[in-house]
Amino acid sequence: MRSRELRPADFLPLTPAVLHILLALADGDQHGYAIAQAIEAVTDGTIRMGPGTLYGSIGRMVAGGLIEESSRSRGRSDDDERRRFYRMTALGRRVLESETERLARVVALARAKNVLRRPEPA
Amino acid sequence: MRAVEHVFGLILRLYPSGFRRQYGDEMRSFVQARLGEPRYASPWGALGLVCHLLVDGIAGAVREHLVAFAASPSTTGAIPGRRAPVSHNEPPEELMATLVHDARYAVRTLRRRPAFTIVAAITLALGIGATSAIFGVIDTMLFRPLRYPAPDQIVVVSMTRGGSLREPPAYPDFLDWREQSRSFQSLGVTRSQSLNLTGRETPERLSGNFVSASLLRLLGAEPLAGRLFTFAETEVGTAAPVAVISEGLWRRRFGAEPTIVGSTIVLNGQQFTVVGIVPSTFAFFGGTDVYLPITYYPNNAGLTRKDHSMFVVGRLRPDVTLASADAEMRAIGARLAEQFPSENAGSAAHVESLHTLLVGDVRAPLYIVMGAVTLLLAIACANVANLQLSSAMARRREMSVRSALGAGRWRLARQLLTESVILSALGGLLGVAVAYAGVALLVSIIPIDLTFFSPIRVDGRVMAFAALVSILTGIVFGLAPAIHASRTNLNDALSTRTGGLSARIRGVEMRGVFVIAQLALSIVLLVGAGLLTRTLVKLQQVDLGFDTSNLLTMEFRLPATKYSQPQQVSDFFTRAIAEIRAVPGVRSAALVRAVPLSGNSDARAYAVAGAPEPDKGQAPVLQLNTVSPGYFKTIGLALVTGRDVNEHDDADAPPVVVVNETFARREWPNGSAIGQRIRFVDSDRWLTVVGVARDAKHFGPADQPTPQAYIPFMQMPQIFTSVVVRANRDAIALGPLVREAIWRVDRDQPVWKIRTMDSLVANTLGSKRVLLVLVGVFASVALLLAGVGIFGVMSFAVAQRTHEVGVRMALGASGGEVLRLIVGQGLRLTAFALLIGLAAAAGTTRLMASQLFGVTPSDPVTFALVPIVLCAVAALACYLPARRASRLDPLTALRRE
Repeated sequence: MRSRELRPADFLPLTPAVLHILLALADGDQHGYAIAQAIEAVTDGTIRMGPGTLYGSIGRMVAGGLIEESSRSRGRSDDDERRRFYRMTALGRRVLESETERLARVVALARAKNVLRRPEPA
Repeated sequence: MRAVEHVFGLILRLYPSGFRRQYGDEMRSFVQARLGEPRYASPWGALGLVCHLLVDGIAGAVREHLVAFAASPSTTGAIPGRRAPVSHNEPPEELMATLVHDARYAVRTLRRRPAFTIVAAITLALGIGATSAIFGVIDTMLFRPLRYPAPDQIVVVSMTRGGSLREPPAYPDFLDWREQSRSFQSLGVTRSQSLNLTGRETPERLSGNFVSASLLRLLGAEPLAGRLFTFAETEVGTAAPVAVISEGLWRRRFGAEPTIVGSTIVLNGQQFTVVGIVPSTFAFFGGTDVYLPITYYPNNAGLTRKDHSMFVVGRLRPDVTLASADAEMRAIGARLAEQFPSENAGSAAHVESLHTLLVGDVRAPLYIVMGAVTLLLAIACANVANLQLSSAMARRREMSVRSALGAGRWRLARQLLTESVILSALGGLLGVAVAYAGVALLVSIIPIDLTFFSPIRVDGRVMAFAALVSILTGIVFGLAPAIHASRTNLNDALSTRTGGLSARIRGVEMRGVFVIAQLALSIVLLVGAGLLTRTLVKLQQVDLGFDTSNLLTMEFRLPATKYSQPQQVSDFFTRAIAEIRAVPGVRSAALVRAVPLSGNSDARAYAVAGAPEPDKGQAPVLQLNTVSPGYFKTIGLALVTGRDVNEHDDADAPPVVVVNETFARREWPNGSAIGQRIRFVDSDRWLTVVGVARDAKHFGPADQPTPQAYIPFMQMPQIFTSVVVRANRDAIALGPLVREAIWRVDRDQPVWKIRTMDSLVANTLGSKRVLLVLVGVFASVALLLAGVGIFGVMSFAVAQRTHEVGVRMALGASGGEVLRLIVGQGLRLTAFALLIGLAAAAGTTRLMASQLFGVTPSDPVTFALVPIVLCAVAALACYLPARRASRLDPLTALRRE
């Protein structure tokens, strides 16, 4: 009832945690620990998510319809069966696109004002 | 590991139950996966993870409760938007909501009492900050690896002989060890010695290390430019005149010119080609300027078995333990002792970790300071608890009203506890600032070479420690007032305006207990500071044997290449001393190889004519010095009998020696020393004793009496010497003039360590003084806090007893009697504290015995003086409120009820 009425713009700007979780899920379905590891890897360890931050964000993102439990959930035998997999919804993908565009506009603005230290690579 | 999961289980309980049902299991699995990561395998790693989980978990729980609250039926759907709404629609759990409420209320209460809040927060900040700063130093020095790669593998190999555990080996010992041992990936050798840099505008003395190629490699040096030494370049026979310089020297002296690599510099009068630069992040022994091949170590006996001055560092193989390496080296050392009886008799080899060697002497003082600062923190806690308690009593009506309106006891207690924790968190925040300042201060005053250690700074671990201490202190000092408040009797509090008697007495009693605790803890600190003060005084009172006032010293080393003949050295010394004596303001001047207290020294095994020849390796050892004529007069060291060395004791004259009283007493107890003969066991030359001097302390006031001998420098010219100058006044001002005088003899001769004897004396007391200053400051603050504490309690008691005092005075008690009554009550508390505190001090001062000199840990003077000081402070703190009570007008006092 709620999520269908919401437009991507209503979610912006995203918190860093939500943004990174969406980016991590852009590669495919993941369980929570794998999401945290992926985020730590792409940020060179600067963002190390604890369980509280991670699952708090996941809870709100599920409630907001940005992600959902994946059908792979509780599936494979080699996995800890308590682990659930998450997948980005169509709304989630649109939100991620909008946020990325918004950030790109910010970067373009910064570049126009010469605030960026390094010039754009050719 | 189980413990971490257990802690996390507790954290999970803070979350709303709906959230916990939804994600609890996944979060547990997450933490298990984290625990499997190698970085959390060590105890420190696990502790770091716990801190991370605590911060993350508590913040997350607060957020979930707020979200759950916002999403409760009345608000759901009303706030769509950026933070997506939440699905848990359970009513918010009371715990969190009330916690938030308590916190808000606490902040309001604290803001209403700014004076109390500021005083309490500053008190806590000092305690938490000081504790954290010292934790930072201890953590880095004792528990963190040294700043080299795989530092656990780095060991020091030394010789042991007799009772001495760490005798430096000779270079051939190092070669034998390297060849015969199997425990090491690599063994390296180094010998520190200053170098003369010439061929540039002004000559300069540099700090040098003569090393084997392996040393730099095993310590993990990476050249900034150029390369390190090759193996051949530092071996006898294939050595090359090459140098590696430090980044610091390169920037300071050579203007960071990249062309320095490949060019030549003149060191000790010889040309060396610079082959590489090591970055300033690589440091060894207090920042070395230049590394040269060990084969260029400039000493006549340099690389023979006789010169025991090398420092051998090794890197263990990964599969070898310290114990097995030690066993192997012991066996090798014993073999060498048999093989070379004249030099190695009675010796063995010993392996210990570099870290153990470095922190061995500082462990005890660091723990003493940590203990002292913990006591101070406890006193600060007691002080704030006292403040809280008095304000809790003042707020009894507020509590009673809230209680009457339905607040449970636990609820009221938790309210006060929340206030305490918020207060301590504020103290902790300020404390981190104190810790920053404290760490900077400690690093600047610790008399230890810190180059081996990771940089000491306020980092995550210190922050985590400060946070933990803040929370703990908040609970510790908040508990008592909270319990007290929870016992408030509703009727008592509301029935009379001033509050019920029983609650009042309980409150005063509890505050009395805190005051006793504070005073008792202060006694322990005061006794510690007292013992250290007495130690320092005793050390300063020791008769060094010579006169330290207006005495200037400096050192220089002649380049061996330029002064290769003994006659050249003698000529230089004779001309230099003549020039120095001509400087205006110089009363007398002389040369001496090793100035007392300078840290330089020389020791030789000797034999006495007419006595049975000692066994190899068993010969007695004396402290040797070479001196110029006039040395004894200049330094003020009295000759007991015989004569001073003079100008006629030159290379052609019969060899003579002046010995000290301890020497004479030990060798010739029944007759005169004059005319007796001694020789060094490595020489055939007999020296005739011509004089006996008083004992001089050579290393410091704590020296045991040791045989000492002085030889005229013209009979044993050596390239290293020191100058001693007795000035008419203001010795240090003469420094540049004396240096100019030496430069008039040789323009290229660097002169360094221009210091007064007084500063050398201060240096030898340095570490003791730092320890005393730290403990003394803590003790003073403790005494101040304790004084404030007892003052507060007595003032409060007087205010509470105004009515009683009024009645007494109305019935005829004099002001004096009232004064005695109140002061007597305060001193009863003090007497209790004295009993407990002195007993505690007697139990704990034994732990600092290693840091004391001339006093026992149960020193009667200290144990007698401390109670007097404490009683004086307590009496003053009681007198001020008591005087107010004694001046009460009985009518006014009675009317107040």
